[in-house]
Amino acid sequence: MACRLPTQLATPGKLHHPHHAKTSTCHGTLSWRRTLAPDAFLSSTQSSSTTLSGCSYKRPLVTCTAQTNVGAVNLAPGTPVRSTSILVVGATGTLGRQIVRRALDEGYDVRCLVRPRPAPADFLRDWGATVVNADLSKPETIPATLVGIHTVIDCATGRPEEPIKTVDWEGKVALIQCAKAMGIKKFLFFSIHNCDKHPEVPLMEIKYCTEKFLQESGLNHIVIRLCGFMQGLIGQYAVPILEEKSVWGTDAPTRIAYMDTQDIARLTFIALRNENLNEKLLTFAGPRAWTTQEVITLCERLAGQDANVTTVPVSILRFTRQLTRLFEWTNDVADRLAFSEVLSSDTVFSSPMAETYNLLGVDGKDIISLEKYLQDYFTNILKKLKDLKAQSKQTDIYF
Amino acid sequence: MTSSATSRAISSISGTTINIISSSSSSSHRYSSSMGWIRPTTLSVANTPNWAPSFISRTHRSRLVLIPRATSSSPDTGKKPNKRTRIRTKSNKKKPPQNQTQTQDQTQQQTSPSTSTSTSVVAQEEQQKQQLRLDLEDVNPVGLGRRSRQLFDEVWRKFSGLGQISSTSRADQREALDALLVREGPMCEFAIPGAQNTTVLVIGPTSRIGRIVVRKLMLRGYSVKALVRKADEQVVDMLPRSVEVVVGDVGDPSTLMAAVEGCNKIIYCATARSAITGDLFRVDHRGVYNVTKAFQDYNNKLAQLRAGKSSKSKLLLAKFKSQDSLVGWEARQGTYFQDVVASKYDGGMDAKFEFTASGEAVFSGYVFTRGGYVELTKRLSLPLGRTLDRYEGLVLSVGGNGRSYILILEAGPLADTSQSKLYFARISTKVGFCRVRVPFSSFRPVKPEDPPLDPFLIHTLTIRFEPRRQKPVEGPAAMKQDPRSFKLILEYIKALPTGQETDFILVSCTGSGLEPTRREQVLKAKRAGEDSLRRSGLGYTIIRPGPLKEEPGGQRALIFDQGNRISQGISCADVADICVKALLDSTARNKSFDVCYEYVAEQGKELYELVAHLPDKANNYLTPALSVLEKNT
Repeated sequence: MACRLPTQLATPGKLHHPHHAKTSTCHGTLSWRRTLAPDAFLSSTQSSSTTLSGCSYKRPLVTCTAQTNVGAVNLAPGTPVRSTSILVVGATGTLGRQIVRRALDEGYDVRCLVRPRPAPADFLRDWGATVVNADLSKPETIPATLVGIHTVIDCATGRPEEPIKTVDWEGKVALIQCAKAMGIKKFLFFSIHNCDKHPEVPLMEIKYCTEKFLQESGLNHIVIRLCGFMQGLIGQYAVPILEEKSVWGTDAPTRIAYMDTQDIARLTFIALRNENLNEKLLTFAGPRAWTTQEVITLCERLAGQDANVTTVPVSILRFTRQLTRLFEWTNDVADRLAFSEVLSSDTVFSSPMAETYNLLGVDGKDIISLEKYLQDYFTNILKKLKDLKAQSKQTDIYF
Repeated sequence: MTSSATSRAISSISGTTINIISSSSSSSHRYSSSMGWIRPTTLSVANTPNWAPSFISRTHRSRLVLIPRATSSSPDTGKKPNKRTRIRTKSNKKKPPQNQTQTQDQTQQQTSPSTSTSTSVVAQEEQQKQQLRLDLEDVNPVGLGRRSRQLFDEVWRKFSGLGQISSTSRADQREALDALLVREGPMCEFAIPGAQNTTVLVIGPTSRIGRIVVRKLMLRGYSVKALVRKADEQVVDMLPRSVEVVVGDVGDPSTLMAAVEGCNKIIYCATARSAITGDLFRVDHRGVYNVTKAFQDYNNKLAQLRAGKSSKSKLLLAKFKSQDSLVGWEARQGTYFQDVVASKYDGGMDAKFEFTASGEAVFSGYVFTRGGYVELTKRLSLPLGRTLDRYEGLVLSVGGNGRSYILILEAGPLADTSQSKLYFARISTKVGFCRVRVPFSSFRPVKPEDPPLDPFLIHTLTIRFEPRRQKPVEGPAAMKQDPRSFKLILEYIKALPTGQETDFILVSCTGSGLEPTRREQVLKAKRAGEDSLRRSGLGYTIIRPGPLKEEPGGQRALIFDQGNRISQGISCADVADICVKALLDSTARNKSFDVCYEYVAEQGKELYELVAHLPDKANNYLTPALSVLEKNT
């Protein structure tokens, strides 16, 4: 595969991106400073003069820092906010729901910021959380949700099918600015491991920029970088193998240290309560890093059946990505496939956890390993299937 | 061969299971869930190689060969799934076809706007190729178009999923996974095996502790009833939606019957909102009494319905309602020592057990001899097949003039009574009728070297009166009575069944942290409430937390203690956690204990002989902590 050509093509391709088309000031590679003041958000909240200023580089993106005093003064006469009131953004996601459960179990009053949708997230209310409707891509809906909140936990990520910038960047900036202005005491942000090393992947770059923006904002914050969720593997590999469907994997040498989201949630709240960890950057990784092929082999062994594996070379993924970047109308697709750039490198998504465990006062043995997790899954599901089979046999007799 | 056959069977079943789960979850996902499981099967039906090269050649004329393994496996699984697909499409046609296809297409266009344009081009080619092979009945342009699009979407989804950093599964798949991983499934950290069949009534669900208790119960899969005084919108909004809200007031017994119905356990965390004596009396004292009474009434009703076969029904040892029932009881007298010097002043003693004209069995008499006693004894005859080891104590319904008595149990092998060992427990009665509950655990051996009482071996019961250590009875009428005379009206003696777990958890208070002025009042009401719970016969757990703090739980080590040695506060969430853990913990039954954070200073630490433990993920700190505490205090 010709590697050089696509990367050259990539840069002009960006110009065709619908969002960049609006700000024609964006050239070359992205930097977090420039993107810090997204036009969409500023035009709705800030005065129009800032929007019109030519280069966003010079913009006082640190409008937040300017507001530091204002926020503090505003808060002084109000009633003190209880330290147990938290807002979870992205509460319906894989990680978000575990965060909500853990928080409720530890006695927090949990408010969930959820997008208005026809089928509401009932399970959150069933657990005892309060659900408020707001949309990060509509900044005017955010402030009301932050009233009476002590801590904001942000575990939101845009859905794959929507343009990556609206929620992950503009929405997050709006959220952080609101949090600052309203005197939120602590802001916890979930980022991606190694996001500073892969600016070519839009999502990772955005996460990295958000980290930076959060630091600049002066909010009391903790950033937690994550590697991968075990829960994701179930849908990706375990279920298809059990159903004898084809499993798609890559031959990428990338290793990811998957972690159980329940463990992440547990560690998160230990970190949240530890005042020594303020302004720190933590990385949570699982006990061992796995390649895709290893995960599939493990699933096959535990399920006791061979998988119908379709291995797609990473080069094809990369190629498709670069191809789709050529056209404006396929740019979203290109963004989606961007992770293939990381896959083709030998990156290891893992980090030694001994220090983190030490910092949090957690025993590393309590963190579940992927083998154990998948084994639990397969024993449970196979038992369930057996029960069902027995039941269906019985009904055969009756009918 | 056999293994492949079974695995196929499993796979087909697994498809159905997940379908059931997902279709029950929400109606909005109906289309996708009914269709979703067809896609993969069609996918493996040799279609993949058709589109794959064409797609590649369209985009880039290159030497790429894609997906070798799908091709090789396709003829193997080819036939069976094909049939299934056809059946499914037929069943879909029964519904209004036009609407459904349109909505289907629309939703797909929404989910993948960017791919739809490229899809249509490829789909056309694919359609042409497919037509060659399909039967006549399958050549339905609408169905074909839809199917080819589904096929492409599926492949594209999987393909693009590989290049993504976070894989989000589709809505229908997600529902199925949720059911297993998140809600009540065994993979969930919080799920407790026995929780599904247990209904817990929470009294005071909006209190600081109650709020958290309700949430914790919901997370663990219990069914929860919540007793509120008014079902205002404001109040109901505070509770999770699937909690059953019952309107009632603990001060009003008539409203409680509906509340306790269908409940297995009760957690009482309501408290008076003011220090007004009336309020305290109503909630903290009478409230507990009313709830225990309602709950016992409900249990008794159940026990009656099951004709005494319920685990809740007591075992009748003796019922004194006729002359005949006195048969077998023997009144005796004796002395602990022979008092040589004073014997000439001995006033003697006398006792008789008789059935009066008013229908009462009365044991009465006097003991003037120093060191003398009188006793009433009977060899117990248990119904066939019953032994007392399934019971945890005795309950006596007695009346009289409020003396205290000693209950003595003889235990040993029936064949050889000389080996019997004696165990005693002191009971006190009130003027008028009362029920006295004597747990077997409170019986002490007469000879200290004897082993503790084994209820299995009990064969004789004795009620003994002795004039020593009688408390002067309160009230004007009692002043004239000689403490050496007594009258005991016996109604019945029953054995209380053991329960494995606690039935009633009461959150009381230690009294520390209260203002001195209201402290006495509050404590008095709370203690009275605790007493009425202990006397109720329910399995109880009384938790007396230190001053409550509003902070997240699980942060600091806890101290469990009995006696008034609590100095620290405790977070509401930790108290709630203890409540929920105690529900299914056998060591928590019939215990009262104080609990607070660990006292950090070194001095005085030796006071606490009990377990301090930091609550953690999987561990159960409650059992070891409570197992060293005494029962029935």
